Amino acid sequence: MLRIDIDTHVGDFHLRPAFEAGNELVVLFGPSGCGKSLTLQAVAGLLTPDAGHIELPGGAVAFDAATRTYLPPQRRNVGYVVQELALFPHMTARQNIEFGIAGWPTSRRRERVSHLLTLLGLEGLDDRRPRQMSGGQQQRVALARALAAEPSLLLLDEPFSALEAPLRSMLRREVAGIRRRLDLTALFVTHDLGEAYALGDHIVVYDDGRVLQHGDKDDVFRHPRSRRVAELVEVRNIIPGAVVAYAEGVAVVRTPWFTARVRDPQAPVRGEVYLCIRPEHIILVREDRESRDTTNAVVDAEIIEEVAMGNTHRLFMRAQAEDTGLGEPYVFEVDVPAHPYEVMGVATRRDWRIALTAEHIALVPRE
Amino acid sequence: MSTQATLTRSRAAPGRLGLTLLFGPPALLFVAFLAVPIAALAWRAAASGELGGNITSSLVLDSLRLSAITSTVTLAVAIIAGTPLAYLLARRSFPGKMIIDLLLDLPIVLPPTVAGVALLVALGRRGVVGRWLDDAGIDIAFTTTAVVLAQLFVSAPFYIRTAKAGFESVEPVYEGVAATLGASPLRTFLRVTLPLAWPSLVAGAILCWARALSELGATLIFAGNLQGSTRTMPLAIIDAFESGKSIDVPIALSVILVAAAAVLLLLLRVLARGTPVRV
Repeated sequence: MLRIDIDTHVGDFHLRPAFEAGNELVVLFGPSGCGKSLTLQAVAGLLTPDAGHIELPGGAVAFDAATRTYLPPQRRNVGYVVQELALFPHMTARQNIEFGIAGWPTSRRRERVSHLLTLLGLEGLDDRRPRQMSGGQQQRVALARALAAEPSLLLLDEPFSALEAPLRSMLRREVAGIRRRLDLTALFVTHDLGEAYALGDHIVVYDDGRVLQHGDKDDVFRHPRSRRVAELVEVRNIIPGAVVAYAEGVAVVRTPWFTARVRDPQAPVRGEVYLCIRPEHIILVREDRESRDTTNAVVDAEIIEEVAMGNTHRLFMRAQAEDTGLGEPYVFEVDVPAHPYEVMGVATRRDWRIALTAEHIALVPRE
Repeated sequence: MSTQATLTRSRAAPGRLGLTLLFGPPALLFVAFLAVPIAALAWRAAASGELGGNITSSLVLDSLRLSAITSTVTLAVAIIAGTPLAYLLARRSFPGKMIIDLLLDLPIVLPPTVAGVALLVALGRRGVVGRWLDDAGIDIAFTTTAVVLAQLFVSAPFYIRTAKAGFESVEPVYEGVAATLGASPLRTFLRVTLPLAWPSLVAGAILCWARALSELGATLIFAGNLQGSTRTMPLAIIDAFESGKSIDVPIALSVILVAAAAVLLLLLRVLARGTPVRV
């Protein structure tokens, strides 16, 4: 189990993350400059925190301020792929990969390099220098180099940020596959929400040097625990409301525009709240069908703008306050996949009814 | 290669001819200014017909040997002692770093004669340190050792400055990654930092060696002008010139110095080109 609980100042920046990770791929997600990369440096041993504790998978204590323990980077056995890759430009691919296992017996070393070249699809490139390779190939060499000494922990700092999208998603799948096969703990830093969702088993949401929320990625995406997390994971509809009743795990929440039932086991059960609803969880109601669950909140809304986003359409839909004397209209953001968009003829009509399901609303307290 | 880089190299780019025509003449004038004296030297040496005889004279041979030995020893000492200093200046922060930086700049700015006086005051027989050495039976001033020290004082800063810039140009992330790959700090330095800084180290060595070879003022004051032990090539040229016998001897000495310098510069260029990373 990787355990990180550190507190340190880097210039004016206060870094104080705390989380744990088992043998899984954990994504550190957050805006640029929130301390994700610094956390990796601390785990790798390139940054010594002021206080706290770092325990590596396997139980070795890499850092402990209380007992003044500090394991230098060369003894942590951590594979670290930095954002700029930092392949040694004066060495061939083979020499780069061999760098970390120079002390191994020759035959075992050769075998290991061949294995890694095969594993990462780099056959025949072993004598190339980094500048003679494509971005994707360099990326693979950097990964092979980090894996060579059979580390117990793999740290990846936005390793694909310089690559084109199709290559990026392919390498993403490969990294996930290799990690699974080697049964490694891996920390993957990204500020790209799509990448975070595509990769992670677990996701750690960072902001301003702290961990705001940590958990299963679907849980983090659907049930943010604070308004800031909701914003960071792009829950586009964050609606102020108040809990007016609560019974048997279901809260009744009133807003100026609708009253909804919410089934969120971790939600606050009273007081002022925000309702967080992802755009893909709002449903356009088909008038030709009976609503299957009449207890859903159903709201009249008018399409005022739309943006085509490839395989989905994002609709901006304005709903009036129920008591028109009270409050401004609210503009929902609703994602409709291309197929239903065509079948339902969304382009031909402006006024719709939208449904909010109890399971897809998360409540966060309003400070 | 990026489009921009391709564009820069394209000779067909519009508007380039105008600038070439504008800048060409002054550039050519300057090249001529450098080339004509060197060519004149070669021509006069060949015309005098006594080049062979002058070269094999003991005056020339002694000073040639002395210059070769002292400048090489100076370069070796500058590299051995200067490389660690350059690395520490590039990578560590410590109290007094600014003063060391200043000390390194002084010999570059000062006239070498000042260096000669300073060395004499420090290490001469009655000098601040020299008197202790004298008591111990060690005499430095006016020996070949003094020649090396004079050259080292004025030329080593050129190597250390350039080497420091070279180490600074190596991104620390390379060293960090090497450490995570299990390399000790020394192995990281030898296998990663040093090769990446290599072109700068070679450039610094060329500067240092060239400066040592041409050293005159500090040597004259601190080491004197004794044939065979302190009379290096530049001193021999002055000496031969001032004796007023014939201009043929200084010409011969100069030609040899030019040829030796050209050969060494070429050699070092090749050495620098043979390295994996160029900057």
